[in-house]
Amino acid sequence: MASERYSFSLTTFSPSGKLVQIEYALAAVAAGAPSVGIKASNGVVIATENKHKSILYDEHSVHKVEMITKHIGMIYSGMGPDYRLLVKQARKMAQQYYLVYQEPIPTVQLVQRVAAVMQEYTQSGGVRPFGVSLLICGWDSDRPYLFQCDPSGAYFAWKATAMGKNYINGKTFLEKRYSEDLELDDAVHTAILTLKESFEGQMTADNIEVGICDASGFRRLDPSHVKDYLANIP
Amino acid sequence: MSLADICNISDYDSNRGTKNDFHQMCTNFTSNMSLGVPPFANAVANIGNMAKDDSGRSIKINFDHGTTTLGFMYKGGVVLAVDSRATGGQFIGSQTMKKIVEINDFLLGTLAGGAADCVYWDRVLAKQCRMYELRNRERISVAAASKLMANMVYNYKGMGLSMGMMLAGWDKRGPQLYYVDSDGTRTPGKVFSVGSGSIYAMGVLDSGYKWDLTDDEAYDLGRRSIYHATHRDAYSGGIVRVYHMKETGWVHIDNNDCNDLHYKYKAEKEDLENTII
Amino acid sequence: MSILAYNGGAMVAMKGENCVSIATDRRFGIQAQTIATNFEKVFQMGPHLYVGLPGLATDTQTVMEKLRFRKNLYELKENRLMSPKVFAAMLSNLLYEKRFGPFFVEPVVAGLMPKTYEPYICNMDLIGCINPPNDFVVGGTASAQLYGMCEALWEPNLGPEDLFETTSQALINAFDRDAISGWGATVYIIEKDKVTIKNLKTRMD
Repeated sequence: MASERYSFSLTTFSPSGKLVQIEYALAAVAAGAPSVGIKASNGVVIATENKHKSILYDEHSVHKVEMITKHIGMIYSGMGPDYRLLVKQARKMAQQYYLVYQEPIPTVQLVQRVAAVMQEYTQSGGVRPFGVSLLICGWDSDRPYLFQCDPSGAYFAWKATAMGKNYINGKTFLEKRYSEDLELDDAVHTAILTLKESFEGQMTADNIEVGICDASGFRRLDPSHVKDYLANIP
Repeated sequence: MSLADICNISDYDSNRGTKNDFHQMCTNFTSNMSLGVPPFANAVANIGNMAKDDSGRSIKINFDHGTTTLGFMYKGGVVLAVDSRATGGQFIGSQTMKKIVEINDFLLGTLAGGAADCVYWDRVLAKQCRMYELRNRERISVAAASKLMANMVYNYKGMGLSMGMMLAGWDKRGPQLYYVDSDGTRTPGKVFSVGSGSIYAMGVLDSGYKWDLTDDEAYDLGRRSIYHATHRDAYSGGIVRVYHMKETGWVHIDNNDCNDLHYKYKAEKEDLENTII
Repeated sequence: MSILAYNGGAMVAMKGENCVSIATDRRFGIQAQTIATNFEKVFQMGPHLYVGLPGLATDTQTVMEKLRFRKNLYELKENRLMSPKVFAAMLSNLLYEKRFGPFFVEPVVAGLMPKTYEPYICNMDLIGCINPPNDFVVGGTASAQLYGMCEALWEPNLGPEDLFETTSQALINAFDRDAISGWGATVYIIEKDKVTIKNLKTRMD
């Protein structure tokens, strides 16, 4: 241990029984860029804002939508660096699973394992909880999956959800728009609309990112493709 | 005119010593008791080197080895019983091998150990015994026959012969049973069992043996002993052959497949258990 | 003498039409000495999944327990049955972990894939190299004899009854030429809605 003084967990109970560190982490998430995910009948979509503060920034070089395996993808709201660590871990766990069983990891399994890592950071000494919530989408056993993983290690299965800044409005919007027999194309459209609800400024193919997952696997949509969807939005 | 005459070497054969070569190369063709020795000095001490390859690893020769044989004397003469399995390593080469050799009408030999060794030396012994009969106008005693055998194999002691045999016979002095092996051991006795399954056979044999057995009891004891050995010992099996040496010469009692014996004994045992209850 | 041949034992698995078979002898011996004739070395790992572990008897049992442990954990974690293919991959992984001090078993896996009920068989060497052919696999000390028998008797699309007959004959006639396997045999026929287990009457020498 580097220093005994800091080898206790920073996440400790307050007298009222709350873990304030986790609440702070959730606050960091709620202040982060919005992201949304929607499950359709034939696939699942995840989308997030990717706004840049300067026009000098080189878009489409660093991504927020990441592939974990051929059939699983991930986005986040919150702190970028924390996210990248989790992406790295998730990819490693997925490959480890494949190595042992010679079969792609089921989405549920990956979510459970990522959530376990996040939980570990709420009880270990010398670390802080992750400042991110994840949206993990996948396709296996012939159906789509959509999960959210929180800094506490809690995870949820959604039909559709929103995270990050203005997530309450996003969710309300989705509750109104969601229907069970949504097609993937409509779902992408709805996801972009949900982001647009709270979007400040002009939404372009350069400041949002979209990932979709269906029977053929997970892929990030290229800007030209996103542009086509944006063209259908009033 | 032959080529040899033209070349002026018509006495080539005598110079080359072909006759000597022939004798040196095929010694047991004319003298079956002398085998070719390894082509180096001090054969007994150095024969071990022949069983090693260039890098010093030993070369294993898997010749037939596993066996169960037994023989015992009782009031009715001598009973011999043997299995019939021949194995090379763990491979079963034969299930029908004859491990009792009928040397003559009054002499039987059993084989255990190297099959080829046993068969060869039994054949030589048979010849020697017949020679004795022709020369002396009477049958050879079992004691003499076994001594011939022991002396022959003793000449090759340390050179890898592997045999453990029983000689059973009936001569002027009555029934006889001898044990002879390739170490040079030769000993008369009442009860013997030889081979990899001998410990199992001996267990059954000892517990059922007495001098006053009837003939049928004696055959059954021999048969059961071999059967139990074949059951426990992987290298024994096949057929149980039973021979009886009587005053009138040997009689082949019967052959029984171990498979039939197993299910027969099993049924008998179950019947017995049912009647007790 | 090889450690793999210390206890003896023979094993075979065959593919049939919508069914698979796995069969083994029953001997437990120490070299030439037969200790028991009711030794189990084929284990049920699921409703349609069996694994046979011929080789060193102590490792047969240890590997079976390790497999059962890992398989149970998987089934609890994932809330689903383990398929034969995944089972084989996991077993291969388990064996290779001990690459430099292996378990002395040559596993045979036989089963039907969940849902599709497609037949699956494979065998591997003692450090986990998987071989999944379309006809039959063998293992144990009589494997040379078994290859010969299977090569001669196996044919495609055997129904359960014919598969039973073919497997039994291949096994019995193979181990009758092996000194250290035999002493009874068990045949498992795995079908979609039933598994038939039969003990065969064989030579006991």
